[in-house]
Amino acid sequence: MPILKYVDLYFKLVSAGIRAQFQYRFAFFMRIIGLITAYSGTAITMWVMLYRFQELGSWSFFEMLFLFAIAILSWGFCIILFFHFRSLDTYIINGTFDRFLVRPINPFFHFMAMRFDVASFGQFIFSILIFIWVSFEINIGWTFGKVLFLFASIIGGILIQGGLLVLISALAFWTTKSEQFYWVAMYPARNLTNYPLVIYPKIVQWFTAFVVPFGFVNYFPAAVILEKETPFFPAYIGYFSPLVGLVFFMIAYWIWMLGLSRYKSTGS
Amino acid sequence: MPIIEVENLRKDFMIAKRETGMMGALRSLVKREYTKKEAVKDISFSIEKGEIIGYIGPNGAGKSTTIKMLTGILVPSDGKVLVNGIVPYENRQKNAKNIGVVFGQRTQLWWDLPTIESFELLKEIYQVSNERYKKNMDTFTEVLGLNEFLNTPVRQLSLGQRMRADIAASLLHDPPILFLDEPTIGLDVVAKEKMRTFIKEINQDRQITVILTTHDMEDIEKLCERMVLIDHGTKMYDGEIALVKERFGKTRTLIVDLEESKQRPPLTGGEIFKEEGSRFWIKFNRDEVSASDLIAQITKTHNIKDLTVEEPEIESIISKIYQEGFQDLPDTVKV
Repeated sequence: MPILKYVDLYFKLVSAGIRAQFQYRFAFFMRIIGLITAYSGTAITMWVMLYRFQELGSWSFFEMLFLFAIAILSWGFCIILFFHFRSLDTYIINGTFDRFLVRPINPFFHFMAMRFDVASFGQFIFSILIFIWVSFEINIGWTFGKVLFLFASIIGGILIQGGLLVLISALAFWTTKSEQFYWVAMYPARNLTNYPLVIYPKIVQWFTAFVVPFGFVNYFPAAVILEKETPFFPAYIGYFSPLVGLVFFMIAYWIWMLGLSRYKSTGS
Repeated sequence: MPIIEVENLRKDFMIAKRETGMMGALRSLVKREYTKKEAVKDISFSIEKGEIIGYIGPNGAGKSTTIKMLTGILVPSDGKVLVNGIVPYENRQKNAKNIGVVFGQRTQLWWDLPTIESFELLKEIYQVSNERYKKNMDTFTEVLGLNEFLNTPVRQLSLGQRMRADIAASLLHDPPILFLDEPTIGLDVVAKEKMRTFIKEINQDRQITVILTTHDMEDIEKLCERMVLIDHGTKMYDGEIALVKERFGKTRTLIVDLEESKQRPPLTGGEIFKEEGSRFWIKFNRDEVSASDLIAQITKTHNIKDLTVEEPEIESIISKIYQEGFQDLPDTVKV
């Protein structure tokens, strides 16, 4: 199928997914409210903490909010695009995954477009409000280049977090479990990025730069935009964020396809 | 040329041994032991265009493993599969365009959306042209009565409605081959009958080849002329259903209602195996004694109010085959 057809099909499947969710309107709005409340809670915790210390690893409260908002925004997009992968194990266990294999389209694409989590509007509202607020409080010195870089690094962040989701889901092809791995891998990795990596031990920083590259989701790009120092790492490292995202995602996709071919030989 | 060709098909699964206890669990993390399970071993058959084949066997016989290899979901361990000239596991997407698949127990429709939307999405997925889509939808709406629930979400459909929608969905792209896995499971008698009529119709009108797996022997009897029977991954029988009936269906049952039940009627050649008041069930072998013979014997001593002769159902024949194996089959039928 030509790529344009895929794009067209993606939007059709996704809009079907949205309409399916609107069948449960109350649950939808409750989730958005729930998400905003939860993120505000994290922001308030940050404020309480910094009220005492004034700054954390040379990052002020508003700089940290900015860092947090980048993570939330890319996570929001990531949920829309890739969150469905978390439940791959359920499909494999009850046999519904076969459905994706009797259709004449790429199963990765088909699975990805099957559900669409609209509740991430909560993430969008929260992060945009934070961006505006922070821009008033500290002088970021926005230039066209910085805005462009922010967008590019958000795409990088989506690909890194999405890549990890895809990677975790691929484990289901071998172990028939993925939901559990989500909680032991994705959840801690995301929580780590709520704070500037500089406060963590060197080994953790190194790990988040070169193994599971969550440092590139928000810490390194935010340091570039806010012109902050990144000890142990060169200042320009943040510019690699989109590239790291692309490479990491491609590896994840490749492993997922490898898992799929294993599934095709074991059937479970 | 056959539309489906299967030659010496084999599929092994490696099943990890589960060890018990804490140490066992730790050991299995490092070194896992596998046992080989041969789900399908050396199966061959070919199907001509326009046939309806009953593919049957007890649970765990290897039916769905075979179907999965024909649909391209599974890669065979050995052997040859050709579906409409395509090797399914090498060319899965192309093969998908040639086949329709209905799993009776799992819907392929979008659960939360009005039924019509599933059809529209499948139209896009299979790239069905507007006119073909319209033409097919018109036909299916009429024949399957889809319009009564097209705007109802799939989750609110009755099982019968859902099955009708599912089978229509599998035919939207005009596949020459249709796989039906338990298409009448859970349906009531009327819905079952409707489903069978429809399958028969599309087979005749569109020359669609149908591979039907089912546990409902009535499906087989009403739809198929030929069946492939497998057990433990091997083919046990491949041929006309009439022939199996002929060979294994020699036992008939004569049921008589007698005017007064003074005592059991004396019989030679038949055996009373059940009685209820003045009604008697008599089992006999068609080769040894005829029904009229038995009736004549009974009328000597009793007056018969009513009688029926029951043919064996294919179901009891099949279970007989499962139990006894095929040793009795003459070489002409044996495969």
